[in-house]
Amino acid sequence: MKALVVDDSMTIRRIVIKALALAGINEATEASDGLEALEAIKSGAQFAVILLDWNMPKMSGIETLRALRQAGVKTPVIMVTTEAEKSRVIEAIKTGANDYLIKPFSPDQLAAKVKGLLATAAAT
Amino acid sequence: MDAFYVTPFVESVGSVFQTMLGVNPKRNTVKVCTGDNGNERVTSLIGISGRMHGCVALSFPPQTALRLAGRMLGTDMKEINEEVIDAISELVNIVAGKAKAKFNTDPPLQLGLPTVVHGSAYRLKYPSRSVWLEVSFSSEAGDFSMEVTYSPDRG
Repeated sequence: MKALVVDDSMTIRRIVIKALALAGINEATEASDGLEALEAIKSGAQFAVILLDWNMPKMSGIETLRALRQAGVKTPVIMVTTEAEKSRVIEAIKTGANDYLIKPFSPDQLAAKVKGLLATAAAT
Repeated sequence: MDAFYVTPFVESVGSVFQTMLGVNPKRNTVKVCTGDNGNERVTSLIGISGRMHGCVALSFPPQTALRLAGRMLGTDMKEINEEVIDAISELVNIVAGKAKAKFNTDPPLQLGLPTVVHGSAYRLKYPSRSVWLEVSFSSEAGDFSMEVTYSPDRG
């Protein structure tokens, strides 16, 4: 299984990738903004889950999420972001996010959300 | 600027440092900031806009920055390089993000993208009408400070 990790901070990408190992995902493609993420998807690579930051240069996470869903991409998406307001969470879920994780987070919190999503995907 | 605008940032520093770094910062002094800085520092800044506007900066001596970045990245950091700059930049982003949610404005306040300055011969200049407060912290990773200016939007 492979994940797509989208964040303009290489530090966060590294933390997320380490946490993904706790959920059994040992392979990841990194993207530093939404445009790179869309390129990775267009390349045909298959991802079990996408971890998506909100505030990024060039193309924000919410714009990326909107583009993914409009293109029919059904890969589960977890927003991983500093945007903690309830209205932001609602906006993300309405746009098609499957889950939402607010920074700062612990590796266990992220792994639990990924495991939950994968279990749900496997059951459907 | 009163404590209303500073307290969320102080609380956010405590929470973020504990969760992400396993560090328990202790707040020390609060004073009006002059911007003088003759010592080598790594300073990360981020702007906040919306119903209220301002800026928050975290400023670290190099050794503190190295220890904190090392904790974030899970490896010893020996020099102020791109990885350390990125880690310190993300720290201020997360601190500001957590603090802005406490103001609970509608629409939510917006964060800019963080900027990092590293050196020993720079001076932060503050616009004459703004008041910056400097909050100093001590921690097991070393001392550091936070500088905040914040006010309701006049527009």
